[in-house]
Amino acid sequence: MGVTEMISRLALRVVRVLIVEVPGQWLTRMELEHQMLRRGWRRALTAADADVLAVCGVSGPELTPLVDRLWQQMPGPRVRADMVSPRAVNSALDEAAILYLDTEHHKRDAQERAQEPWIPEGPVDHMDHDDHGNHAGMGHDNHEGHGGMNHDDHAGMNHNDHDEHAGMKHDEHAGVDHGEHEGHGGMDMSPGGVPLAEGGQDRDGLEMDVLHLPLGPVLPYWPAGLVLTCSIQGDVVIGSDVSIVDSGDHGNESEISHNGLRAALHCDSVMALLALAGADDLAARARRARDFLLRGDQVAASDALVRMTRAIRRSWLLRWSLRGILVLDQVDLDRYGLSVGCGGDAYDRMLRTIDRVRAEVDGRVSASEEDELVPWQVLPELVSGMELATLRLAVASVNLELCFIDKEVEHDR
Amino acid sequence: MTDSAVVTVSALWAVIAGTLLCGFAVFAVTLDAGLSARAHGAGGGWFTLPSRLARLLRQRRRTTVAADTLLWRVGGIGMFIGAFLMVAVIPLGRWTLADLDVGVVWFNTIDVLVWALVWLTGWGANSTHSLVGGYRFLAHGLAYELPLMFALVAPAIAAGSLRVGAVASAQQDDVWFVVWMPVAFLIYLIGVMGFSVWGPFAAALATDIAGGAGAELSAVDRLVFHAGRYLFLAAGAAFSVPLFLGGGAGPWLPAWAWVLIKTLVVLAVLVWLRRKVPLLRPDRFMSIGWTILLPAIVVQDLVVSVVAVWKG
Repeated sequence: MGVTEMISRLALRVVRVLIVEVPGQWLTRMELEHQMLRRGWRRALTAADADVLAVCGVSGPELTPLVDRLWQQMPGPRVRADMVSPRAVNSALDEAAILYLDTEHHKRDAQERAQEPWIPEGPVDHMDHDDHGNHAGMGHDNHEGHGGMNHDDHAGMNHNDHDEHAGMKHDEHAGVDHGEHEGHGGMDMSPGGVPLAEGGQDRDGLEMDVLHLPLGPVLPYWPAGLVLTCSIQGDVVIGSDVSIVDSGDHGNESEISHNGLRAALHCDSVMALLALAGADDLAARARRARDFLLRGDQVAASDALVRMTRAIRRSWLLRWSLRGILVLDQVDLDRYGLSVGCGGDAYDRMLRTIDRVRAEVDGRVSASEEDELVPWQVLPELVSGMELATLRLAVASVNLELCFIDKEVEHDR
Repeated sequence: MTDSAVVTVSALWAVIAGTLLCGFAVFAVTLDAGLSARAHGAGGGWFTLPSRLARLLRQRRRTTVAADTLLWRVGGIGMFIGAFLMVAVIPLGRWTLADLDVGVVWFNTIDVLVWALVWLTGWGANSTHSLVGGYRFLAHGLAYELPLMFALVAPAIAAGSLRVGAVASAQQDDVWFVVWMPVAFLIYLIGVMGFSVWGPFAAALATDIAGGAGAELSAVDRLVFHAGRYLFLAAGAAFSVPLFLGGGAGPWLPAWAWVLIKTLVVLAVLVWLRRKVPLLRPDRFMSIGWTILLPAIVVQDLVVSVVAVWKG
């Protein structure tokens, strides 16, 4: 018993947490990240690596089944921690820590749960979206992935005129939703119930498998609640549909009560971009600046921001990495009705955001924020044809307007 | 120059070599965790390794729907084993486990094997993020592998032998190869980070695709895969010593101590770089690999060849 106890106590120091952020609950998530750091806990990128499932806020009717599926995918020992507000974070983590150590409980859990992974089936219960809400963020079983690359040039192939989305509707009418593999009305299934990939011409005109990958709503450094269902070939996104989970629920947004919080939110988006670009040290700096802002420590925040900006401007590799990503020129801005503040590439937008944060911290009044928001509905047009890595950076580089959703606007490709 | 000055020791010493390699990997993990904690303004991080081991050993293994389990596991376990095969040809001062007459090629063979291992890990999970991670690694591989091969060739040309011991002893009373082959050395280090899926070359395991090839790994499967990466990084650092850094050459201390010290220094630099350099995305690195690295290393090889011929 002594050894088991010792091992679990050791493990408790490096627990990995999968964070589910209910739209609008970013304050809770930031507090959670802060508390995790104090305990030495880290963020898990997927359910496979997670020990604790932390749900920030109260999940709505669409998010709840996804959270349950992520829970199913966790290897165990697994602990769920719900935190409805920033104040609840600390006690929720304390309880999670106690439960994590309870080896007997985890043994029972391991025996009682399903022993094999499976793909849940069930009637679709929300039909007002083109895509169903149940894309478990980075769910593992949403992939019909056994095609690999097939670069044989089949002369006279007719497979290129498949419309995946027609298939999707077909699925919907059948009333059966195979979790995350829409787009395959009447296709072949593998024994596991995973639909096999279909072919399509890639950008070079070669036959290549088309996979369907939902990005979000639970994905690290991804806007909370946003779901972008991509059709990809290799890692090139050839088309996508966008939606917001639980778009009907309003009113649970964290209040932006003072300028410091707004600055913190912007700082958080800079951190996400830096983290996705793989600049770990710079992301850590952005995070520290953000936490100073949250605690209202303006002096320390200002200092941290100055140093971060200097380091960012020095890093020519970062500039090289972000230059040319999602370039929006005047024509694009006019077409999508965006403000001048959204122009340029990812690097320009990041520098502007940092300037804005610094202006807010120093008390200099900056331009009204509403002007620079990008409506989420235009995302599929902006990101079409990008590689997945570029897409993630592109999405992180724009300031998405996720609140106050007009439900009438549905984006159809 | 072909008869090397190293002694082949009995296979039992492999245990020591393996232990040393693990020790280097532990050093790399600890340094990385410590630097990471410091960057975040948190204390500690230096004693994280036992905790990480405990966590992953306590975790249950999991699988995914219709996973290609055999190939998936082969990928992970292969990553763990590969680095041990690499160190077999690295001389520790006067001693070596296997004094292959094609030692440099042996090293190269193992590092090419990593292509298959990472790809299988990405493929086996039957998960799109994993698969994309696998693609990314192959794309990186296409860009770094050829320059790496040419970089391995440079010291071999200068020493006139593919025997690792001979390459090391060729630098004994001469300038180290790193001095007049700086390009080859840099590209070699890039290659090491490449086949260790490390730092700027970790796009296959990146955050933006939720861990990529490793997205679905848990428990002991995750442990062996990621331990394998650290071991490869350590083995790559160790191999740079006989190849470019004069092997055991150095004042006062015995040769074996110098090999260990030089390995530690190279390894520390590689670990430190991870936090400083952003990801080199495969799509962008591809053009660098083919338009800058490859021509540069070919010119380096040419210079080395001319010097070798001129020296007779």
